Amino acid sequence: MEFTREIYWNVGHGFTTLAPMYGLLLVAVAIFVLGCLKRIKVYRLGQPLERTDQLGKRIKNLLDNVCLQTKVFRVPGAGTAHALFFWSFFILFIGTTLIVAQADFTDLLFGVKFLKGTFYKLFSVILDLAGLLSIAMLSGLLVRRYLIRPEGLLTKCDDALMHGLLFAILITGFLIEGARIAVTEMDKPLLAAWSPVGLVVANILSGLGEAGLRTLHTGLWWFHLLLALVFIAVIPFTKFRHILTTSANSFLADLGPTGKLTTVNLEDETTERFGASELTDLRWKDIFDADACTLCKRCQDRCPAFATGKPLSPMLLVNQIGETAFNNPKANLIDTIGREAIWACTTCRACQDICPASIEHVDKIINLRRNLVLMEGEFPGEEVMTAMEQAEVNGNPLGMGYASRGDWAETLGIKSLAEDSDVDVLYFVGCYASFDKRNIAVAKSFITLCQAAGVKVGILGKEEKCCGEPMRKMGNEYLYQTLAMETIETIKGYGVKKIVTTCPHCFNTLAKDYQDFDFAIEVEPHPVFLDRLISDGKLQIKTDTFSCTYHDSCYLGRHNDLYDAPRNLIRAAGGQLTEMAKTRDQAFCCSAGGGRIMAEESIGERINIKRVQMAAATGAGQLLSNCPFCLTMFEDGVKGADVEAQLRPKDIAEILAERL
Amino acid sequence: MNILICIKQVPDMESKFKINAEKNWYDRTDLAWRMNEYDEYAVEQAVRLKEQVGAADLTVLCIGPDQVKETMKKALAMGCDRGVHIADNDAHKREPLEIASMIAGFAKDKNFDIVFTGMQSQDRGSAQVGVMIAELLAIPAVTTIVDFAFDNGAIHVKRELEGGGRALVKATTPVVLTCQLGLNTPRYPTLPNIMKAKKKELLTLAVPDMGGIGACQETAAFYFPERKGSGLVLEGELPDMAEKLIHLLKEKTGVLA
Repeated sequence: MEFTREIYWNVGHGFTTLAPMYGLLLVAVAIFVLGCLKRIKVYRLGQPLERTDQLGKRIKNLLDNVCLQTKVFRVPGAGTAHALFFWSFFILFIGTTLIVAQADFTDLLFGVKFLKGTFYKLFSVILDLAGLLSIAMLSGLLVRRYLIRPEGLLTKCDDALMHGLLFAILITGFLIEGARIAVTEMDKPLLAAWSPVGLVVANILSGLGEAGLRTLHTGLWWFHLLLALVFIAVIPFTKFRHILTTSANSFLADLGPTGKLTTVNLEDETTERFGASELTDLRWKDIFDADACTLCKRCQDRCPAFATGKPLSPMLLVNQIGETAFNNPKANLIDTIGREAIWACTTCRACQDICPASIEHVDKIINLRRNLVLMEGEFPGEEVMTAMEQAEVNGNPLGMGYASRGDWAETLGIKSLAEDSDVDVLYFVGCYASFDKRNIAVAKSFITLCQAAGVKVGILGKEEKCCGEPMRKMGNEYLYQTLAMETIETIKGYGVKKIVTTCPHCFNTLAKDYQDFDFAIEVEPHPVFLDRLISDGKLQIKTDTFSCTYHDSCYLGRHNDLYDAPRNLIRAAGGQLTEMAKTRDQAFCCSAGGGRIMAEESIGERINIKRVQMAAATGAGQLLSNCPFCLTMFEDGVKGADVEAQLRPKDIAEILAERL
Repeated sequence: MNILICIKQVPDMESKFKINAEKNWYDRTDLAWRMNEYDEYAVEQAVRLKEQVGAADLTVLCIGPDQVKETMKKALAMGCDRGVHIADNDAHKREPLEIASMIAGFAKDKNFDIVFTGMQSQDRGSAQVGVMIAELLAIPAVTTIVDFAFDNGAIHVKRELEGGGRALVKATTPVVLTCQLGLNTPRYPTLPNIMKAKKKELLTLAVPDMGGIGACQETAAFYFPERKGSGLVLEGELPDMAEKLIHLLKEKTGVLA
């Protein structure tokens, strides 16, 4: 007995089958292509942006995220179901392609058949099981969307159409197979056994008799074909387009450095518009991103602004850009999205980090802010404008006299580079550790640790200025660049070899953003620097057991993937670490990123209180962090959450300095 | 309309002030400089008036060393059309009448309809320059304005009076107006305007003829007042602080006796 089956059984191989089939396919493909072209035309409304460099890396991202579904898999449940559905449906697609390849090409033209023997057996059983898995996963997703209805999940007509079409394709597929088996394979149990699902269907249908089965088969075959062609044709017009756009986006993704913003060319005097207020101000990728979004709401689920009742949903924002692009391209983006939503972002990157579609949310928000600040002189509040003016005058947003910037270090026996520039490292202190009483304690602890390890540290003292990070994230690119240029000139003037920071915002800015200004001096955040001093044996810490929880700051965590060094330090000090539910790359922002440190938080619940409550829920006695903004928000948060007595916020440097 | 705005560059009040070698003014080192707060209201109001009437020419004037041009650039970025810098390295020693006569010397033949200026400077705080300009130009002055309206040549301003009262004053051009906190919220210059400001006319003039007016005062001494006792801030838990307060009141005062 030969293990194979007749392709085009019952529908015929001839012109009467092939002509209408390929005719319809041509129509479907034409509709598909026209739909795609129409959308490409809209993407091209955006500004140019190069996203085809580093091909190797891009292709790897594409394979990772499409074939392996790596990002999709990061959220179990719906993510798992999607990945399994994708793989099984992809197998069905390959199966159909093999059939077409044999029947209409190799067999038709050269008389070569490969769907036979062992290969056919495997082909048949794999396709059968893939079909079954597809139906199971699709059912699971259907139950989730329509019965469980997770909060915030947007369900539109598109979703019903997609579920309906896919179910119809899968079920008709099995019915066709069942009808064929019922007529041709019931007497060949050894063959039929390789189509287990089809055989079950065949047994159910077998009562119809051969004539009935054949009629059913022909009807369903054409119906199934029509459904498949409809599927192809509607891809550009429905959320099915994500098959193309989301996949393409993993190729087109920003390759980093992570979170580095686009630097505006302020030297170009012909530029008269800054930032984005209209669709055509955005980059083409920003419009394409909207088409890549599948409304999976992972970004929204993790957005600290959304979680505390602020009018920002990263998902909605991306889709408002899409709506504008395709339906109302002349509309003002800032009015469409709303100022409060634009100002609410803390640039914590939780949205962008988790997005399975490689969408770049933060850049869009900063671009909108740039327009508000640079073109309109608008800020989220007067306090922010005051902070900006203070930074212009005194080089810090706190409004402290610049000349007292180094006063905190007066009694510590460290000098400014102006006094002695022969140092091992420059400690770039940052505004908060220079002026804010609570954070001065952290700076002092850090100096104590360096001195204990025999590291010669220098500071810039009154020559240091804000690195410009909060201003940049608030959209004030001009002030950022002014401050950056001054800082770079000062640091380069001393021939500094290495810089250490205790502020992850300074770190990220000096290490990444300044690259655009030809600044390549090594910069290290203090947890990494201290971790190495300990592992090199230069710094000895007495282990003294204590209970704590640890907050991954956004700019050390998601922006720089530094999760282990701070935990090593906690362990070295004897910390019994109880992790919060939202930790590492899923950590919940303290509220102060994105320049929000300068702004009042007046809408909804307070983000810092929410985070402090998460920390208090661990039952640990100390809330450790690595960032002056986080520490400031937590000192405020423990009061707001009324857990001042049981939870003490501290910087890791303080824990270590206490144990010398 | 032809409008003059007189501004002054002053140290940021958060700066570390030290006394200069002559012991008659503060030392200029380690200071951060900015536009006198009240002058910012003056600039803002002039720019708003231009936005309202359309045809207006705003001249911003500042007296001092070369570095005051930095502050003038902000006024230009906020919307002034041209700048006049009177170069005078001794400006900080000048008394109000000298400053006013320099300004009047410049302004006398320019037919300014309105002269806006801050009601006082944040550093010297004499609050005399504005009114003296008016006197020297023989035009009226309205001081400490907190509201301004211009309608077809008629000016209505509100003055802030002692005790929070307001006076509505009508005036016609030419007039000197000195601006008080509350008049407006000065704008943050937009980037295109900062760029444009770099190309605006900024004329540096020598000290003009002051009409024979010279110094008639002398700063005899400059010093920080002696600290006489200091406040005490209690910190800690509320019940503890109450305990400490009672203890202090018993020990140091007779109120609980």
